[in-house]
Amino acid sequence: MSTTLTAVAPVAPATDRLRAYFAPVNRAAGAPTLFDPAQSGSFTLGTPPDPWIDLGWIAKFARKCGTKVDPLRAGSPAVTVGQVRAEIDATVAFEFETWGRLQATLASGSQQTNLLATASGAAANGSGGVAGAAAPLLTSPASTAATLSIGTTAAVGFSAGNLVAVDIDYSGQTGYVGAGVSAAYVQSAAAVNNDANYIRRVTLNVGVIVGIDSGVLTLATPLPAGAPTSAMKVSKLVGFCDREGPSFFQEWSALFVAEGAQGDRILYHYPRLQAMQGSAESITAFAAPFESVRLAAAFRALPVKDNNDGETVVCFRSYLPAPLRLP
Amino acid sequence: MQNAKDTFYTTLQARIAALNPGRTIIVRGTVRPGVLVDENELPALSPPVDCFRLRWTKLEVAEASPLPLAAMTCAITYATDGTSGNAAMDRGRLLSAMDAELAAALIQTPRCAPKLNYSAAGVGVAPAVMGTNIFWADPVFGAVTTSDERLERTATVQVFDYQEAGEL
Repeated sequence: MSTTLTAVAPVAPATDRLRAYFAPVNRAAGAPTLFDPAQSGSFTLGTPPDPWIDLGWIAKFARKCGTKVDPLRAGSPAVTVGQVRAEIDATVAFEFETWGRLQATLASGSQQTNLLATASGAAANGSGGVAGAAAPLLTSPASTAATLSIGTTAAVGFSAGNLVAVDIDYSGQTGYVGAGVSAAYVQSAAAVNNDANYIRRVTLNVGVIVGIDSGVLTLATPLPAGAPTSAMKVSKLVGFCDREGPSFFQEWSALFVAEGAQGDRILYHYPRLQAMQGSAESITAFAAPFESVRLAAAFRALPVKDNNDGETVVCFRSYLPAPLRLP
Repeated sequence: MQNAKDTFYTTLQARIAALNPGRTIIVRGTVRPGVLVDENELPALSPPVDCFRLRWTKLEVAEASPLPLAAMTCAITYATDGTSGNAAMDRGRLLSAMDAELAAALIQTPRCAPKLNYSAAGVGVAPAVMGTNIFWADPVFGAVTTSDERLERTATVQVFDYQEAGEL
């Protein structure tokens, strides 16, 4: 017995909001993370494919095409006989619904710092004073992406609810630093005062402790960089800080997904985004005297080459129709 | 549009049953999840309490898209007298529990469901899955009304439904 199904007319996607996803750009190699909508476009929104990290819902998503198309004229009087793309440019702006470490860093567009718990008597400093000593990771029991083995003695300095940064000591290296994600660029050891805590001060490899047992810190979610190496250490932090004016440009691979009510999906993929503004917020009144403070972000898209035809492009928009829609 | 009304009802009923399996009602001797559609039931002098009663009110139809879009308003009324064991002093808590159940059922993702045609469904015969989804907006909760110890609230939600071939 054969069955013939009936296709229906495609309607404009109706969607209530968009979800954003982050993946790192390997800055040293200049290699973004590419998302393949043909292979992975239908992923469940709450569980993006590796290495994409869910940034949560976003609002006021606005794409802007800055590409300039100029006429090519010939003859007298001049007549447009063709066109040429004189500039390729695209920007995207939105507001994060979630105010987390990664969201704040991306919105600030530069090296956001972790406010590491300070050493006793540290002099005051705008992005946090000199940090206290970090706790080394023990080799036994081994740490995982969600458990940090620091021993019972060091664990006394931590409590459930503490935020922690996990990364290696700074030891004079220059260039991009930060586990998993290039969090900053170090020009010289002197520029960062040869501070052993500098990489933990900027790293995006952070978590929150939800339990401590026998010298093992259990985190609420796995660390973004995965299981830590034995060279990494753990620093307690109290919050995050970004600044207007630093020189580093954060760069990331972005994916935005609009889920349509008919089961269709729009995917916007920007392999390389850099912030085009400093830290900003969007204030929305919702019930006096309260106001909602959202992270406002705006980015410029940088180019990649599409391997299918060698074209230089800055973003990809894919549409996955609902089942049984007329093309 | 009847397909959308039926689909919204069965979707809400399933979600409420999953959220609170104890939210049940006896209708004509049968225990069912505590969600019913007034127009599908026998008229009753005293509406049941501690359940969700659906009524379809406004309707708008727009022709702007390739498929006509129906926007229907569903009014969901629920009430409680509290429990006699607590001398009705738990009626506020019981209404709050129903507020939370209804809100959770309506705002959980996805806010859509495949439209089902129940016209040929019956015992052992599943409804036919149609080509489009119904979807709905945020619920709007009205003020609580009080009658003696009874607390009652009506929430409204707009349900959208593309009209497929043969539905209009």
